Amino acid sequence: MNMIVGGAVNIGMVLVLAPFFQGVLRKVTARIQSRQGPPVKQPYLDLLKLLGKEDIESGEAPVLQRFAAYLPLAVLLTVACLVPMGFQAPLNSSGDAILLVLLLTLCGICTLLAGLASGSTYSLIGINREMMCMMTLEPLFAVAIVMGAIQKGSLRLDEVLSGAVYGPTGFALSGIAMLVIMLLAFQAFVGRAPFDISEAETEIMEGALIEYSGPKLALFHYAGMAKLVVYSALFVALFLPWGSQLPLPVSFILFWAKVLVMVLLVTTVAATHARYRIDQAIRYFAIMLVVSLVTLAAASYGF
Amino acid sequence: MAISKKIQQLKDKFGPAIQQVDIPGDNRLIIYIDPASVKPICQYLFRDMNGRYVISIGCDDRPYSGKFQVLHNFAFDPDKILCSIISRLSGDKPKIDSISGIIPGANWAEREIKDMFGIEPVGHPYPKRLVLPDGWPEGHHPLRKDVPWNEVPEGFDETREFSFDETPEGCTVVPFGPFHPTLDEPEHFRLYVDGEFVRGCEYRGFMVHRGLEKLSETVLGYNDVPMMAERVCGICGCVHSVAYCQAVEAGAGIQVPARAEYMRTIMLEIERLHSHPMWVGLACHLVGFDTLFMQAWRIREPIMWLAEKITGNRKTYGLSLVGGVRWDLTPELKAETRSVLDKLESEWIAVVSAVSKDKNIMARTRGVGIADKALCKEMGLVGPVARAAGVDIDCRRDHPYAAYDKLDFKVIISDTADVWGRLIVRMNEVFESIKIIRQALDKMPEGPLMAEITEELPAGRLGMTSVEAPRGESHHIVITGDDNRPRRWRVRAPTYQNLQGIPAMIKDQRLADMQISLGGIDPCMSCTDRMETIDIRTGAKKVWTKAELLSLSRVNKG
Repeated sequence: MNMIVGGAVNIGMVLVLAPFFQGVLRKVTARIQSRQGPPVKQPYLDLLKLLGKEDIESGEAPVLQRFAAYLPLAVLLTVACLVPMGFQAPLNSSGDAILLVLLLTLCGICTLLAGLASGSTYSLIGINREMMCMMTLEPLFAVAIVMGAIQKGSLRLDEVLSGAVYGPTGFALSGIAMLVIMLLAFQAFVGRAPFDISEAETEIMEGALIEYSGPKLALFHYAGMAKLVVYSALFVALFLPWGSQLPLPVSFILFWAKVLVMVLLVTTVAATHARYRIDQAIRYFAIMLVVSLVTLAAASYGF
Repeated sequence: MAISKKIQQLKDKFGPAIQQVDIPGDNRLIIYIDPASVKPICQYLFRDMNGRYVISIGCDDRPYSGKFQVLHNFAFDPDKILCSIISRLSGDKPKIDSISGIIPGANWAEREIKDMFGIEPVGHPYPKRLVLPDGWPEGHHPLRKDVPWNEVPEGFDETREFSFDETPEGCTVVPFGPFHPTLDEPEHFRLYVDGEFVRGCEYRGFMVHRGLEKLSETVLGYNDVPMMAERVCGICGCVHSVAYCQAVEAGAGIQVPARAEYMRTIMLEIERLHSHPMWVGLACHLVGFDTLFMQAWRIREPIMWLAEKITGNRKTYGLSLVGGVRWDLTPELKAETRSVLDKLESEWIAVVSAVSKDKNIMARTRGVGIADKALCKEMGLVGPVARAAGVDIDCRRDHPYAAYDKLDFKVIISDTADVWGRLIVRMNEVFESIKIIRQALDKMPEGPLMAEITEELPAGRLGMTSVEAPRGESHHIVITGDDNRPRRWRVRAPTYQNLQGIPAMIKDQRLADMQISLGGIDPCMSCTDRMETIDIRTGAKKVWTKAELLSLSRVNKG
């Protein structure tokens, strides 16, 4: 029973709040750029508008396209059930850290499918870039999760996703180093500037999404917004667990406040940086990955 | 002094091939030559005398002399000379030796002459159609005098498609344009891409022909053309109208009042002040840095308001007429201009310091879109592109016009030869423009705004002028004519040359750098396409119904 209610709450919160956070992001970006900006509710309206449009089949493989459009949101909502959001993760006992890592990778694969299905040159370039990013980037989150698992000696979600990276002392140096690395790479996980390379509107016209319109595009946009929230939630669970033990309404509010802080951080960074080129980004990720592996080794020796 | 030395040099070298020499002004040189020697003469001018290739122009002079003419224009920047080499060709099946083999930058100009006049460039390395629409029949040349301005030729086939060259082996084609988020105007680049690297490209432009030059010599009058010239380009319109007027004035020998010259200077610089921040903003947008894009445009906005206060329009100032200008500055406007400039200057300092310290922008623009001195020379590249490569040219100093010879300013150059250099050059030119306007406001004399023109302008005179547009040299040539209109008017916008340098700049670069490389020249397609003919009505007449569009988009269904 707890599992169902908790899952419903998590999924509901992500679905309801994702456009809100996107609205906040757009408003704050606009303010940084000396603009008025759209009202905070605009992303809700945008989604509704797109959902109400005709559902056009196009591209090389329409069935695959449809599947690729449903998948990312579904995956992200599943992940949402595996993450504690102010209370214990609803699917705590049904999955472990490895499932989490696999699901996160599946997110990236959705983009590949989407691009492949439309088969336009621009989308192929987009997925080419996405794939290169994925190969260097995805291991990073895995390393962070594994690090938590090593510190706790367990793959259980509730063990790992409770600030486990800081070790039993709560102040392990390797954990703090990992926090810094993840902060530096966080823009890339949520696909925002300066790492919005695979969608780069001015270069390859949204890359994999070029052939999408209407409800399918809405789902992709929705998934993009949900991604920001879910990854922020994961980050908070892994690295900023403080206060999650407090009684329910407090921990719940505290959690979403932390997510909001993450969103604001993402916004500020995105608004003040130019986009990297793919080779520059890959070099950046590669350095991050090497450093994170060193940190992981250090963690396994108890630093 | 320098002119007579140059003439002597040519006469010593080529003797009788130099048929006639005109020196219409201190700094203008017109040489009629024997068409058979056009190649060695141009080679000598370009290589040995180190002339800068400007443009080649065709001209149908048959109603007057029974001949076609081809003009090759060169500039000797250090000597402040503009020089035109004129070959007179037979009125029947005209031919001339192509100079594109020795001057690669003449490639487009000669193809254009072939399209428009049917003058065959013999030995042209790539004589493909350039300007005319794809469906245009062969052997029909719209700029010939016997073709009416509104003719749609027999045999126009609107369904015929452009045939592209063969794709190089191992490359995929990435179509870039005609409609792309970073192209403001329709142009098509067919990129040959190998992985993330661009190996080559083919260009198909000239999609928005408006027939301006033909209109100027058939329908409009001398003082209508400046208004149309301004519509050559949405960004540097004032440049084109001033350049046209100056060319007519040079041809007809009209002296413009001093106050009008200062007004032209001020408005040209105001135009540069809105254009450069706009470009810096766009460049930031191209590399995905939208915050600076927005800020640069915010800073630019008061300049637009200022222009509106002075002329009544944010753009398209309607400033110049042959012999003077239409707008004046009141003391209140002068004071307001100064305060807008002060604000702009202080805000621009902040932008410059933000951009020049930004590591990401540097990473995206350094070593990107390289156009070195040699390429500038070969392709005749101009403006910030040339100055970023250390080529010290600026028409404001080298071929002074309006009031620039009375003002003190620096020509900004850089030596990196890449997009970063162009960014630095443009950002710093903003400060020079502010300086120029301030001086002009101080020195501006009282007096009339228009020269009195009491007589018909003399026909058959050639006037040429170069104006430094924000993107580089805009070169205009006018041959005056009867009926109160020019006989021939040719616009060479800076992008016409700079765009020809693009294939060399993007070769073996990453696809991601294509946009900023192209953006780096600040391309102004409408300037380049300004051109001739006519066909607004047939080419685009087909109206798609919704059902047709839907069926098109569903062709691949299932």
